[in-house]
Amino acid sequence: MCKNPYIPHTATVEDTWYETGGDRCIKTFKVVFDDGKVRDQWSHLPGQCAMIGVLGVGESMISISCSPTEGQFLRFSVMRMGKVTQALHELEVGDKMMVRGPYGNNFPVDEWQGKKILTIGGGIGQAPLRPIVEYVRANQDKYEGLTMVYGARTSNDLCFKGEFEEMSKCDDLSCHLTIDVEEEDWQHNVGFVPQMLLDLDPSPENTIAITCGPPIMIRFVLENLKKLGFEDEQIYTTLENRMKCGIGKCGRCNAENMYVCKDGPVFSYAVLKETPEAFA
Amino acid sequence: MSAMLLSKEKWPEFVGKLTGKSVWAPQADGAEICFAPVGENEEVILDYNNTRVPPKGALFPQTETMFKFEIGSNQVEEPQLDQDVVVLGLRPCDARAMSIVDKLFKWDIDDPYFVKRQEKTTLVGLACNEPGLNCFCTSVGGGPASTEGLDVLMADLGENYLVEALTDKGKALLDETKDFLEDADDDAQKQKEKLAGEAEEKIKRSVQTEGVPEGLPGLWEDPLWPRVSASCLGCGTCTYLCPTCHCFDIQDETEGIDARRCRMWDSCMFDEYTLHTSGHNPRPTRKERTRNRINHKYSYYVDKFDVIACVGCGRCTNLCPVNIDIIEILRQVKEAL
Amino acid sequence: MDLELLRKTAAEVAARDDVKYLLGWKQGTYGYRVAPAFVEDAAGAAELIFSPLCTANLATYLTLVEQLPVPRGEEPDNRKVALMVKGCDSRAVTQLLVEKGIERDEVVVIGCPCPGVVDSALLAEKYPETEEPAEMKWDGEDFLLTRNGEETKIPRDELLAEKCRLCRYPNPVVSDEMLGDPVETWEPGEDKGVEEVEARDVDSRWEYWMEEFDKCVRCYSCRNVCPLCYCQDCILDRLNPTWVNRSVNFSENTAFNIARAFHLAGRCIECGECERVCPANIPLGKINRKLARDVRDKYGFEPGVDPEAEPFQASYKPDDPEDFIL
Repeated sequence: MCKNPYIPHTATVEDTWYETGGDRCIKTFKVVFDDGKVRDQWSHLPGQCAMIGVLGVGESMISISCSPTEGQFLRFSVMRMGKVTQALHELEVGDKMMVRGPYGNNFPVDEWQGKKILTIGGGIGQAPLRPIVEYVRANQDKYEGLTMVYGARTSNDLCFKGEFEEMSKCDDLSCHLTIDVEEEDWQHNVGFVPQMLLDLDPSPENTIAITCGPPIMIRFVLENLKKLGFEDEQIYTTLENRMKCGIGKCGRCNAENMYVCKDGPVFSYAVLKETPEAFA
Repeated sequence: MSAMLLSKEKWPEFVGKLTGKSVWAPQADGAEICFAPVGENEEVILDYNNTRVPPKGALFPQTETMFKFEIGSNQVEEPQLDQDVVVLGLRPCDARAMSIVDKLFKWDIDDPYFVKRQEKTTLVGLACNEPGLNCFCTSVGGGPASTEGLDVLMADLGENYLVEALTDKGKALLDETKDFLEDADDDAQKQKEKLAGEAEEKIKRSVQTEGVPEGLPGLWEDPLWPRVSASCLGCGTCTYLCPTCHCFDIQDETEGIDARRCRMWDSCMFDEYTLHTSGHNPRPTRKERTRNRINHKYSYYVDKFDVIACVGCGRCTNLCPVNIDIIEILRQVKEAL
Repeated sequence: MDLELLRKTAAEVAARDDVKYLLGWKQGTYGYRVAPAFVEDAAGAAELIFSPLCTANLATYLTLVEQLPVPRGEEPDNRKVALMVKGCDSRAVTQLLVEKGIERDEVVVIGCPCPGVVDSALLAEKYPETEEPAEMKWDGEDFLLTRNGEETKIPRDELLAEKCRLCRYPNPVVSDEMLGDPVETWEPGEDKGVEEVEARDVDSRWEYWMEEFDKCVRCYSCRNVCPLCYCQDCILDRLNPTWVNRSVNFSENTAFNIARAFHLAGRCIECGECERVCPANIPLGKINRKLARDVRDKYGFEPGVDPEAEPFQASYKPDDPEDFIL
């Protein structure tokens, strides 16, 4: 029988921690494939996703939130929402997770060489943006600069807090954090992400802007990026839809004539503009 | 291989010769005709218009185990698909549908279950002498004697069937059964063509597809969509009985510690088809779902695979409980363009 | 039934300011098909018909239409929905009122006394349909079929739908306007379909239903067309937890169909739509009618007749029979 793409590989959870608390908490997993051959053959680029799950419960398409430059492991940040993510949240260090992938297209990070990169994330939307950030940092000489804007409702809803605190002290990149509402002990900006973007007033020249987050934030960020003079081709985002097979067969993830699992999840605004269903 | 003749008297022996294979053919099921495995001495009915449920289940069963496992273990066991299958007497539209769906199941990555079944299945079609009331295969690139997707095509000439092998698999099948076959002469060939031509003339309803794939996206906000979808019940009849519909769901099912991951037909007309766990649904009403279905068949599939994903079998129209008629919808689409 | 009166009334009702649209029947696209019509003006009303082909129960649309969240700044459209009902359909409306699925002031009911509709499948079998839409009329005791200009008189017994043979309420039990005079009620026939299954022993009954449910494709037409299946979140769809697996096999199909029948016990108004729409021709009417009859016999209750009644499964009397409780 030809190789079966539906069969997942086992991976062991090397490390896991909670990024946020509450009902819809976010847990990050660092996993390593058990099979050495799979580890060696695996190759992914920022933007791609994988189907992760637990046998007997199901699978979910989650973005790979690490860059290949970081090592031979995979990171996933999962928000606890339903049956599968609940089962995933019960995994601890040493447990097994089933993973198959990588699926989807990637951010054209190599095409972006020589440009300035601006990432604008909200809440868990930072998970697919993180690999871009790490990739650019690992290949700094090839890019003109890196600016990150990231916000959440409260400081407890911010992901990758430790990494951000460390990054805000670095010279090689510009990191801007914000939360929606004033909080005690909060050292950084207060305000919505789209407004912060306007306040920063980044120049669109030779810049690529990538945004990811809740739909309402994306809508205003897109509006503001246009106000700042960004062209459609300079703006990228990711779409998500309910997915089952991940390989373009089961039919449900399509946004008009594009399958989000294969033609996406990365799309430039130039493409999305023509696709009313993408904004449904 | 030239065409052969099979006399109707020898038909039961012809079927009986196909031992060692599972034969799927139209059989009586109460008042209905449906494709089912033929047991010993069971009658195969070839005098029918078309079955309610298309034989797409031969390559894409309604429920299919993808792999088995035990709860707690991470070892999976794939199913064995060893049985050779012959599907006898399917209509050219249904076979053409399988070749249309084949393009998606082999897009970039091969779907192993579909491909394995396809390798092991021989499709023996039966050309139509009489179209059904809502057949419109000729409008979408098919025909009563279309050979697309078939390994063997039979034509009912009255006392005999004209039997033509179209592929290597077809040739192998006819080799196996050559004891029951005779050479056919040109007259038989001409008769088949005449019958096919007459059947085409008898097709009463048609759709115009010129400009439709390109123009459909432009009709996104057209009032025709709320109009045609107002009476839709949101059931899965049109999709489940459509030979080209191929969407599926994947579920893990457990019974004690035995478990399996299986896939089963799903319908884009169901409310929960695109429902996100967050509660958001990009296609919240039947209007969006109907619009998506028609667009998918007549535009998106054309974009990707250059063929309209509809073979004009008419089942959706025949069986929709509230008379949502795809021929009528396409007429309105053409009008709006 | 005076067609003129029907269309005039429909046009008037649809034109009312407080009515969103009117649901009626119109000629379908071919053969014997009749399609539901959503009428908003006189032009739509002019297409309406009422004939022995109008089997569809329009009450299902009262709860099928999706209520989407209203964008900020906009007011929800709270206008009434008008609908045309036969006797059986009106029972659905009444039962919905009893269950508070709808409120009385949300609907305008136009009653159509019904002498009985045909079994369309039987009709198509005996008198093959053509692509030209055909017409049918009630003609005294019989049906008059007009097909391609040719008229054929067909005796009532030959084509009368099973549900009509058993009908106890041919005249609508609730209405704001009644079109035409009430029809004469007839003695409901014996439910041979149910009796035939009841006559079997348990094992034989199981075999019978095993064969039938094997044919089920789980299209959910029966559930979606049923006016009384309107749970927003149907438990038989839910996957967290999974009550009924999505895989299609005899076991899951039986669970689905029997669970649905139980959820309808004491609520099913026997309109026969589930059986009509089933693409696999499963005799669902037998199950639902059996349960309906049991409720009638044991508890003296009939759903959908008295709008002031208490819902059967939500009320009890101290002297309710208990002999079957183990």
